[in-house]
Amino acid sequence: MAVVAKVWIDEDCITCDACQDICPEVFVVTDESSEILAAVRTDGVVDRNVAGSLLVDGIGAELGDIIIEAAEACPVEVIKYELVSDGAADEAVEAAPAAVEAAAPVAAASVAPAAGVSEALNAVFAGDRSINILFGSQTGNAAGLAEKTAKLAANYGLEPNIVDMDGLDPARLATMKRVMIITSTWGEGEMPDNADAMWNAINANGPALGSTHFSVCAIGDTAYDEFCKAGHDWNNKLAALGGTEAHPIQECDVDFEPPWKIWVEEALPLLACVDESGTLQVELLEEMKAFGAGDDDDVVEGDFAPGIIEKEAMTITLEVFRYCPEAADSGWDTLTCSVPGHATVQDLLMTMQQDVDGSLAFRRGSSAGTPTTGVRVNGRIVLADCARIADLAKDGGRVRIEPLPGHPVVRDLVVDTSRYESHRSRAEPWIRTDPREGERLPSGQAMGTMDSAAATALHQAGDVLSFQLIQAMSDSLPHDQHYEGPGVHFQQWLRVLDPRTSEKQRRGILNSLQEKDGVWSEADHASLMRYGEDGRLAARALNEARGVLLNQSRYAGKSGRLVKWYGRSVKWSGNVNETTLYRQVLGPLGLIGNVFSGVSARMALAFTRNGGPPIRGLQALLVPPAGLGRIPKMFNSRVQNYHEVVSLFNEIDQRF
Amino acid sequence: MAKVAYYPGNVARAGAAEVEDCIQPLCRALNIQLVEIPRASSDGGNVIKQATPKLQDALVARNLALAEAQGLDVMTTCATSHAIMCNTAQDMERDPVYASTVNNLVARTSKVEFTGEIQSWHLLHYLVEEIGLDKIRNAVKNPLKMNIAGYYGPDMQREGACAGDDPFMPTYMEQLIEALGGTPIDYDSKCMSVGSTSMLTLEDSSLAMTAAVLSDAIQSGADLVVSACTVSHVNLDSYQSKAGRVSGKNTKVPVCHLSEIVAFALGFYPDRLAQLRTRVRLIGS
Repeated sequence: MAVVAKVWIDEDCITCDACQDICPEVFVVTDESSEILAAVRTDGVVDRNVAGSLLVDGIGAELGDIIIEAAEACPVEVIKYELVSDGAADEAVEAAPAAVEAAAPVAAASVAPAAGVSEALNAVFAGDRSINILFGSQTGNAAGLAEKTAKLAANYGLEPNIVDMDGLDPARLATMKRVMIITSTWGEGEMPDNADAMWNAINANGPALGSTHFSVCAIGDTAYDEFCKAGHDWNNKLAALGGTEAHPIQECDVDFEPPWKIWVEEALPLLACVDESGTLQVELLEEMKAFGAGDDDDVVEGDFAPGIIEKEAMTITLEVFRYCPEAADSGWDTLTCSVPGHATVQDLLMTMQQDVDGSLAFRRGSSAGTPTTGVRVNGRIVLADCARIADLAKDGGRVRIEPLPGHPVVRDLVVDTSRYESHRSRAEPWIRTDPREGERLPSGQAMGTMDSAAATALHQAGDVLSFQLIQAMSDSLPHDQHYEGPGVHFQQWLRVLDPRTSEKQRRGILNSLQEKDGVWSEADHASLMRYGEDGRLAARALNEARGVLLNQSRYAGKSGRLVKWYGRSVKWSGNVNETTLYRQVLGPLGLIGNVFSGVSARMALAFTRNGGPPIRGLQALLVPPAGLGRIPKMFNSRVQNYHEVVSLFNEIDQRF
Repeated sequence: MAKVAYYPGNVARAGAAEVEDCIQPLCRALNIQLVEIPRASSDGGNVIKQATPKLQDALVARNLALAEAQGLDVMTTCATSHAIMCNTAQDMERDPVYASTVNNLVARTSKVEFTGEIQSWHLLHYLVEEIGLDKIRNAVKNPLKMNIAGYYGPDMQREGACAGDDPFMPTYMEQLIEALGGTPIDYDSKCMSVGSTSMLTLEDSSLAMTAAVLSDAIQSGADLVVSACTVSHVNLDSYQSKAGRVSGKNTKVPVCHLSEIVAFALGFYPDRLAQLRTRVRLIGS
């Protein structure tokens, strides 16, 4: 049960009455706004309660859940509340609502000065507490340490920003009071790729760092001559520009965690002692260490929430697809704007919706990879709520956002996924309660089981962001209304692989995959494979499915004949013989069809061959059916040592 | 002189003889020495893979190993063949146990092994990155002077197979067309599949996909479509009338292979270039 300490209404209430309907004990809706009733407030006033008056005793507990329900039901999200929790509430409820809203996520997590610390330390805690943790990383190790360092920094009342050196303007260094640099060394003493540009820039035109305190953690490998050179270069450069080395550089070998820990435990409290004026209050060091010591484990261990890596702002030309169903009109909105590199596509769309055009329609997600937020950005199929702009475009480049392909567009970037859902629901790629072997539930019903190795393999085989995205990767799907799609077939194939699946269900799925709109309807797996690891997994799975189906059907049908005769022709000579394929796959009727459709004429007459030797075309016409079908050679010459190819076939697959 | 092993793919020395006609002179003109791999076989064309992925990988690994034995990278004119070689090399690099199994088979039958020392190049990437656009620009004798849409297809447009080009918004072909004196035409479908491997088995879809690509290129102002893939070239060219009839779209446009237009621009086959110009200006597809 939630206990609400106070509740208030922000601006822009649309007076829809929803809150009053849900919780009339607390909310009353006037012509202008929803308001908080006097009877439930300690100040006894009826208004929006922007001053943050507490709820009277007992109300917060009695009506807490209903107040929260009303807040969640508010369509414009103007109902705000604060919970009483864990004894920290007394202090928390003192804060004004506006202050709570303004607090940044990282800042809110930092430890506020507690009672018992000296006045001098409290004075240090006042004012700007930002610390910038810059990382130069080639393989991600330094970036990972930067995130861990940021989490520890909060323990010392610091507000950490993790900064990717890629694209960082060196002039910004001069505005930073506290700087930590974590960098690896690459190759023979070189900067990591993401730090190279900044290193060159700071060497060309380095700012004066008179008010900057810094410390450097250098990661390297003692097997190399230039051990930790990049870190030393930064340390020397910052000192040369007037920066104050708060703590000496820490060198780390390949086992970098232990020395990093030593460094961070010394350097962080020291930098935390730099006060608002930029003076290092070194006499407060012990007290600062004691202050920060308590929560170390709580913050680092087991906290897997990734830090927000700050990236420099980028200027982009944004192009967003627009479609208005009422006017049946489509086009592109184009604007040039500056966005933080770490912003997601969803952030960009939300900003555009708020600041440029409120009618822009797109699906929002939870920022954790929501499957329904799929869009196409610069040709890539991504989830809008987790794909970052910096990963999709370069500074000064174009960001072109389109609806997810393979689905009808409802409006702007919103697509209708009902076709996918109906195919999926017909395919039933979930476990069904057929009789199966396995453990038994208390009710006596059999429960499918699998060992951990099988579970891991199954998970790896289907570990993709979203099956809807897999569905959208197909280039065939938009051209075949009946094709069920790779996203659906991928799920079905995973069910076939699942050892918990009953034999009856497995047979049913395999039969359905073999049908006309099944896995053979995908014209080209290459269109899936290009979309990164997810596409590769899907293409591999669907290819596996085809292999099983080929065996099961004994190479029946056009697809089976194509594979069989392709393999045989390669085995016979080392080269594929297209004559054989046309003849065996299409058959006489197919070849005649090609003659009447003009395909053979285009091939045989070499009309489109830009003057290729006409004898090839004549030869093709004279020796039917081999020639009818762009086949200049009926018989292939064998490759040298072709018996080696035959041996490979015999060793691996003797079916051909 | 640049030296590279040449893998013609599955059709350059069969149905797509025009590619073979052009690749040899164009490489001579650009000081590229093509070294034959006479023992190289078909790569399985992603068809054998459907029955036995290991067999296709072994065929490909054998071809790569034969080039590696000569200390040469492999170059091909076919996007599908290039992608197949990249796939096998990457799968073997990713899984050393699998690589060892495949290599054992190849070593037992052919006395060679693929260690990953060499890489595959597509002609397009080789020309842009290894030869250089300036050198090509200087070698042009017959500027193309046509509106040309490049067709990349999906096979090589992915990380690890498109060299330094962008997998989703590639520009290498456009840069090359410009260097050859043509006007590059950009269009959305340049990386879309035309179902090249499925034309015999899935004709309706493949024709629809082919028609979509061709009509998009035409609507974008192309006089000529240039394919980087020998296999896709068949769909775009020989099947284009049928694709147009089935889909109801305008698909009439001449289609060439990349090696053809490079050879033409470098001064080879002026009669064929003249015929192509006539088709572009007067006759059509």
